[in-house]
Amino acid sequence: MKTSLMKAIELIASMDAELLDILSVTAQMSLQSSIIALLIGLPIGIWLGACRFPGRNVLLVANRTLMGMPPVVCGLLFYMLFSGVGPFRHLRLLFTVDIMIMAQVVLITPIVVGNMETYVAGVAPAVRETAKGLGLSGTKTFLLLCSECIYQIISAYLLAFSRSIAEVGAVSMVGGAISWKTNVMTTAIMQYTNRGNFSLGVALGIILLSLSLIVNIVISLLQRRLSR
Amino acid sequence: MKISPFSKTYEGRCVLDFPGIELQHGRIYAIVGANGSGKSTFAKILAGILRPDKRDRLFSGGAIGYMPQKNYAFRMSTKANLLLNGNDMARANALMDAVHIRHLANKRADRLSGGETARMALARLMMKQYDLVILDEPTAAMDMETSLLAEKIIVEYVKKTGCALVLVTHSLQQARRIADEVLFFHEGRLLEVGTAQQMLTSPEKDETKRFLEFYGF
Ligand SMILES: Nc1ncnc2c1ncn2[C@@H]1O[C@H](COP(=O)(O)OP(=O)(O)OP(=O)(O)O)[C@@H](O)[C@H]1O
Ligand SMILES: [Mg+2]
Repeated sequence: MKTSLMKAIELIASMDAELLDILSVTAQMSLQSSIIALLIGLPIGIWLGACRFPGRNVLLVANRTLMGMPPVVCGLLFYMLFSGVGPFRHLRLLFTVDIMIMAQVVLITPIVVGNMETYVAGVAPAVRETAKGLGLSGTKTFLLLCSECIYQIISAYLLAFSRSIAEVGAVSMVGGAISWKTNVMTTAIMQYTNRGNFSLGVALGIILLSLSLIVNIVISLLQRRLSR
Repeated sequence: MKISPFSKTYEGRCVLDFPGIELQHGRIYAIVGANGSGKSTFAKILAGILRPDKRDRLFSGGAIGYMPQKNYAFRMSTKANLLLNGNDMARANALMDAVHIRHLANKRADRLSGGETARMALARLMMKQYDLVILDEPTAAMDMETSLLAEKIIVEYVKKTGCALVLVTHSLQQARRIADEVLFFHEGRLLEVGTAQQMLTSPEKDETKRFLEFYGF
């Protein structure tokens, strides 16, 4: 136990090549998937929060269902679609970072949507009433709504990002946890633990926890700014 | 400016049945009535915030300005809130002076007090010219001195822009001070219309008399 911890710190300090590779794959996957999720989820979340239309409740329930989807189910879905028997097999995406990003986008976009929808639904009526009362244009009203939500947007993004680096079920299924290729922090921890090599696992665990700590400190600072 | 008749029903209950009215430019119309008599509903429908039961055009043309009963301050400085509604810096400064919020110009507007928010909202609205202005209890959160100040700039605004102004108020004194005509609402109906003096001294309907008695008239 003690020696693993020592070795873990040593690995981090010496910038072990494999460790660095795992970090870089993780960063690639998490940054890309969370940015794509934000680009898709933000407009949908604002739309669902600000507008009332028939079918809106159905969409909200669907989104909540997606938010609760077990990652392994998402992994299974993508595996079936892209594996040797699936309809998209010729794309040869299985066991690549790209398919990991796709699976992640499916998992975390609903988080962005749900997060934004709840907040926007709270502020939109007052913003809209005020903007309409002043006779402001639709574009200006939309921009005002976005600027009123800016901290919420950042915190929704960070939430999506931290979910993405912590997720293991889907990425291990579709990525295959191939060393030097698709191995990310979570899958590597699983792999090395199974092999009895704890030190790299512990090193990754420390980094994951620190990242999560930083993200959560930023979120809580934002929330403090949000609360009046 | 002709306003067509309209009505509003909530959950099967008709909360407003308005017979229509002709509004003159440059005049102030006070809406008075008890809580729940439909004043804010009237104001919101006029402003286009709420839809009446039948979706006909209520009146033809013209820009409408509306100040809600509950004002919202955008998460930015007081000055920036005013400049949302026009970019005339000099006018913004003059308006902030007029309602005594110049010292709050750089303060976050969403941290203003209730009365300060109301002053900001009034100044923000008056950054622009409208043909019809609707104010829903603009002075309810203001102290007496500020109320009188607000009344003054409301009258000045109407004189200068020649707009028609609808003023929802609980203060009959205020109606008497600045309104050319008073519309008395009772349980969703427009019960009586007249000049403030007429209404206060010789009300026609019993409900109006009862309402006035509480104010010591
Ligand atoms: N969204 C709503 N759903 C159901 N009933 C409503 C709704 N909004 C208003 N009402 C009802 O309509 C009636 C008129 O409300 P309104 O806000 O117009 O009153 P008001 O004259 O402005 O009162 P106050 O002096 O308290 O501001 C009230 O009985 C109120 O309960
Ligand atoms: Mg009201």
